Order: sequence, then C-alpha cells, then structure tokens
Amino acid sequence: MSRPAHRMATDQARFRDIVRGRLREDLRKYLQSSELIGRQAGRVISIPVPQIELPRFRFGGPGEKGGAGAKGKPGQGKGEPQDGENGVGGSGDQPGQHPLEVEVEIEELAELLGKELGLPRIEPRGCKKLWVEGGRYTGVAPEGPNSLRLFRRTFRQALQRTIASGEWDPADPRVVPIPADQRYRAQRSHPKPQSAAVLVHMMDVSGSMGREQKDMVRIQAFWTDTWLRSQYESIEVVYIVHDAEAKEVDQETFFRVRESGGTKISSAYALCRDIVRERYPADQWNIYPFHYSDGDNWSARDTKECLRILDDELLPMVNQFAYSQVKSVYGSGQFKVDLDHHYGEHEVVVTAAVEDRMGVPEAIRKFLQRGR
Amino acid sequence: MVITRGLGPKLESEAQRIEEAARKAGLDFFDVVFEALPAEDVNAVAAYGGFAKRYPSWRFGMDFERLQKGYTYGFSKIYELVINGDPTLAYLVKTNSLMEQKLVMAHVFGHADFFRHNIWFAPTDRHMVARMEHHGERVAHWMGRLGRTAVERFLDRVLALDTLLDPYQPQRERWNPGAAASPYDLLEFLARKAPLEEWQVELVRMVRTEATYFLPQRQTKILNEGWASYWHSKLLTGGILDDSEIVEFSDCHAGATADTNGLNPYKLGLELFRSAERAGEDLFALRRKHNDLSFLDEWVDADFARTSTFFARQMVQGKAWQDVKEALLQSLAWCGTPQIRVRNLDAEPGQVWQLEHVHDGRDLHQEDAMVILGDLARLWGSPVVLATKLAGNAVEWRVDPNEVVESGAA
Repeated sequence: MSRPAHRMATDQARFRDIVRGRLREDLRKYLQSSELIGRQAGRVISIPVPQIELPRFRFGGPGEKGGAGAKGKPGQGKGEPQDGENGVGGSGDQPGQHPLEVEVEIEELAELLGKELGLPRIEPRGCKKLWVEGGRYTGVAPEGPNSLRLFRRTFRQALQRTIASGEWDPADPRVVPIPADQRYRAQRSHPKPQSAAVLVHMMDVSGSMGREQKDMVRIQAFWTDTWLRSQYESIEVVYIVHDAEAKEVDQETFFRVRESGGTKISSAYALCRDIVRERYPADQWNIYPFHYSDGDNWSARDTKECLRILDDELLPMVNQFAYSQVKSVYGSGQFKVDLDHHYGEHEVVVTAAVEDRMGVPEAIRKFLQRGR
Repeated sequence: MVITRGLGPKLESEAQRIEEAARKAGLDFFDVVFEALPAEDVNAVAAYGGFAKRYPSWRFGMDFERLQKGYTYGFSKIYELVINGDPTLAYLVKTNSLMEQKLVMAHVFGHADFFRHNIWFAPTDRHMVARMEHHGERVAHWMGRLGRTAVERFLDRVLALDTLLDPYQPQRERWNPGAAASPYDLLEFLARKAPLEEWQVELVRMVRTEATYFLPQRQTKILNEGWASYWHSKLLTGGILDDSEIVEFSDCHAGATADTNGLNPYKLGLELFRSAERAGEDLFALRRKHNDLSFLDEWVDADFARTSTFFARQMVQGKAWQDVKEALLQSLAWCGTPQIRVRNLDAEPGQVWQLEHVHDGRDLHQEDAMVILGDLARLWGSPVVLATKLAGNAVEWRVDPNEVVESGAA
C-alpha cells in the first residue's frame, strides 16, 4: 500500500494552489499592511490564512448570541477535526482551531508582487565575482561521511603507511586502514560569478516620525527587500537610523527604536557612504540606499550638505537612490521638494511621497519599476 | 480475532492480551485490525476522515496541513483512529509509548464494541472502506474526462449540502424497507428530480452515502467516546498495566478526559456511564439503545448535574441545571444543524422549489444561508425559496439561479 501521506501530496498541493490564488487576490491588502513582516525564515515566508470553510446552513442570526450556540458542538475545543470524523482522539489539553499558515517562497511572493505592480526584472550592473564555497565534488579530504568514502584511495593510503612503517610483509600482504588513512570525496571551492546586492535602509526617527509613519516604512522596506532578494543571488541589508546623529542598528532595533530630537539627514548619508566604502566595494556589489523620512530637515545648510554627499560620493557608487517621504503631522515635506528641484528626472534618484497606507504600493512601484 | 500490521512482537502480544481481557469483560466486536503507521500517515488518514483512499479534494489537504502543523509544533497529537466496519480498522501512531499503545488498543476495543452493538450504527455500511475507494476512483475518472476544476467546483457545491439529510431516515428504512423519502432529505430530492447530468446525479448520491455513513458518529459522539474511555480505564487498571506505567496512564487519561472550556465528549460520556454504573444500570443495554440525545434526556437529573463538571461549571454561573440541559439537548438535536425541509415534494424542474426552516428559536446565519440557497438554485435550475423566521418575524428568502451569490470556497 502506498503511504497515505504520499497520496495526500496532491490534495495538499491543490489546497496550496487555492491559497495562492487567494494571496494573489489579496496582495493589495498585504501591500498596505504589516501583517507579513517578521514572518520570514530564510527564503520562506509563512502567511497566515483563515480556514476556508464551506458555507453551510447554520445557526447564528443577528439575535443569536450566547445561548445554545455558544455551548460548542461535541468535539470542539479538543483540537480535533470537525465532526463526521471517525473517532479521532485528540490529546485534549489545547484550544481547538489553530490558524493555518502556508509557506510561500520569497521568489513566489516576489513574482506576485512583480505581476501586481508590473515590475521589470533588474539587470545587475556587470558581473561581480565572489568566491563561492562548495560546488562540484572534485576534491579529496581526510574527513567526510562514509557514503563519500574513496575506497581505493583509503587503501592506497593504508598501504603507503604500512610500507613506510616497516610492517609490510610480502608473505602476508595484509593492509588494515586506520582512521587516519580514510579519504573522502569533497567539494572544491572555486570562484564563480554571482550577483550580490546590498540594501541600505535609512530611517529618520526624529520626534515627528510616529508609529504609523514607521509602519509605512516597515511595509516599504519589507516589500523592496522581498523584490530585491528575488533578483539577486545574495543580499545583505544594512539598517541605519538617524535623528541629528546617525548610527547603524540591527533589524529589530530599526523597527522598534523610538528616538527624538532634531533631524540632520546628512549624518545618515555620510554613514551610509562610509559603510559602503568600507564593506561593499562598488565593483562587487549592487548598492541600493533607501531613505525614509517625513522630510523635515534641520536646516537648508544641512540639505546642501546632503546634496553634496549624494552628488560627489554616493550616487556614483549606487544602482539607485530612493527617497520615500511619509507624511506626518509635523513634517514640512521640504526635503522632497529640495531633492526634486535639484535632480528633476534623474537617472539614479527616485523620490516618492506617501500620504497614507493606500499610497504604499505606488511608492514601491516607483522604486522598483526602473529595473536598475 | 485481532490482526496486526507493523506492530512488532511486543505490541502484538499486548494486543492479544487486551483482546482477551476485553472479551472476558463482555465486549463483543468484529475482527479488529491494528496497523501501526508513522504520525504523518496517521494524520493523512485522519484528514481523509479515517479512510486511506478517498476522492481528491483540497479540503483534505487543508485538514492535513492543520493536523500536521499541530503535530509538528506539539499543539496536538492524534493517538488513534478507528474506522467503523467489518473488520474494524484501527491505526496506531508508531512513535507512541508502549503504555499509550495499550491504552489506545483498549480504547479501540470499546469503540469496536460500540460500533457493532449500538443500534444507530446498525444501518451503516460495514464495507465503507471499499466504497470510499470506489467513490475516489469515480471522481478521479470524471476529473480526467471533464477537467479537474469543473468536477471540483460541483463537488464543493454538493459537499456544502451534506448536512441536509434526515438523521433518522436510515433507522426508518431499516425497520421499514419501503419507507417514503423524507422531506428533510434534500440531497435525495436533488438526485431524483433536479435537471442534472448523469455523473452529477451519481456524485450527489455519493456525497449522500458518505454523509449518511458518518451520521451515527455525530449522533453518538459523547456516548461512543464515553464508552471507549470507560473501557480503556477499566481494562488497563484491571491488570493490563504494568505497575511502573500507572503514573503515565493517569496523566494520559486525565489529559483525554480533561475538563475543557467547551464540551469534552470523553469527559461527559465517561461521567454518564460511571453514574449509570453506580445506579446499578445494565451498561451494555444502555450502549445498545441510546444516542447522545436520548441518553442525556433520560439520564440527566439534579443529582447527575451536581456531579458533572460540565453542568456544575455552568451552574456556578447561576444557571439552573434544567436550562443547561435544555441548551445542551438543543445543540445536539438534529446533529447540531438547522432542520430544513422541502415543502413541495411534488415540485418539478422549472417550478419554484419551496423550502422551510423548522424554527426552534434559533435564527439562521443569513449570509451563509444565502450562499447555500444560491448553490441549491443552481442545482435546481429554478428559483428557490426558503421560509424562516428572523427576530420573530416570518421571512422568505428567494434566490434565482441566474443571480447567484458566488460561493466562498475555491
């Protein structure tokens, strides 16, 4: 008998298809909510989906609260499949229904995103060579799994050792390998062209950036990450927060941190420049700085300094520089005006204004539509 | 006789020993086949509703996904799965401990006895495994011929109707083979009269057959689990357990019969049988003639309510036991689903199909009802009207087949 779990594969695949269909329909919703953030593990994102129930005649009119309806059918609250099931015993100490989670590969989610927003694929600037571990099993190593043991090599080694140590007796030609004689097939590392990219997310965390503004930033960062991850073989992400000063932080802090104080955007740009110069040479990396702010820079002089860093130092290194201005009650929004005035329709610089969550998908589209 | 697959010599001899003890105690069952499978496979069988081979459907995939996740993360695990039939099939999870396996096997013999002797199971098809497999082949065949989506969509539509049966019809037909069709049997009505294609009629009857097979399980959930729990406890503590296993057994038994927030059928069922035993009742006679509804109706009184945690928990909130009982009975009546019947059994295709919700004080969930009415109208090919009450006022909901509400699934 074939295993039931194997036969189930078809039904499971079909269910996942249906869920993906739903996901496609609901993508706009996800593009405006932070629901998927933090659900990523490696290259997989687990997405909570509501149980898909067949509609049935059931009780529950408008006046039907509590009473018998709330009493629960037999089997509820037992972690069991619905009734009609054949005497299935649950272990009985857990709540009944767990929301389902369906795992979707980043590539797949990115593909949905690309279709939804009409994004072109990115052509990496040139081919960057990185050393890649692993590859073909053409080498020999003294350690490894038994399944990769090289029998002849091992014995040749043992023979050499036997002869060298003077134990060899032609009358009794016995060769017994000891652990040090074992030889195994091994991977050989070699240079391989690989496309790599680094994203630098810079966020203004001055007092005027509220929770909602940060949420909009989170959503944009998540989706641009997702897209770029699907376009490059390897991705690194750098997070920078700034008020009047800039510092590099981890992802957790980036989204949680609550700072206050003035805003000096140039501090972030300078830090970004330094990090890129130090760790991500432009001839090996595709570089994508993103800056999120409510556009209320401290002084016109600092804005001038920003433009200088961009023009002279940052822009020549990067694939694209993106500035997203999220609207806040306190923000003047002047910075975007200044950028647009300075660059106009620039090849490398792209700016977007996000009024509210509804505007997030459009901003993401603007950032990614150039295929750079 | 007990037949085993993949159990290993130790469990096999335990199975023989437990069977002997069960028979000695008076339990009587068809042959029982125990098969030990990895948890993943038991989850798959459970998602298939207990049957290893069924028709292809995404819904099984969804249930499997949920069971498998629950198992992986340790939220829940299935101990056992037992299928009413001759022979009675039972699946054991390979990774369970020896004590758990012994408990499960004793539990299974309790179910097997209940399946064989409870009268509500008497009309069930005892060879359902083969029939389900045949249904699966038929559906796969149609899918091959007509395309997966078309068949799946029709199947989903019909499955949403699988509560529209008369739970007492199988019993009626058993006593009176020429019994007239029940006005509550909407599936039978559709199969007989609706303007459907041949395969569609066969599929409607198929869904009806499967739903009918599962009916007694829904009618006797509390008693069936109570009976099995009564016996696993009695047999195991009556000599099957090793002294060293007592603590593990107590833990496991307490987990299964825990006092949960809702209704735990294991717990309430066990309470019922224990209380009847104390009163000197013939337990074997009770398990033969009752379903949940009739037993609770007959047995629950002030004394029982005081000793039952399910009742006591609600009584301390100030409810009278009579009201708790009444609400419980109502929630179990008609298998917990609304009673819908056909008004014009003589309706012909092209005419309006008139249905009536037999209102028992609980209103229908209107949104879902409209979707179902849409499905019914599409199958019937003409308008469908349902008479019901909403907040005390008589209302009629009418759906035309061409202004149909899209079903939520698929």
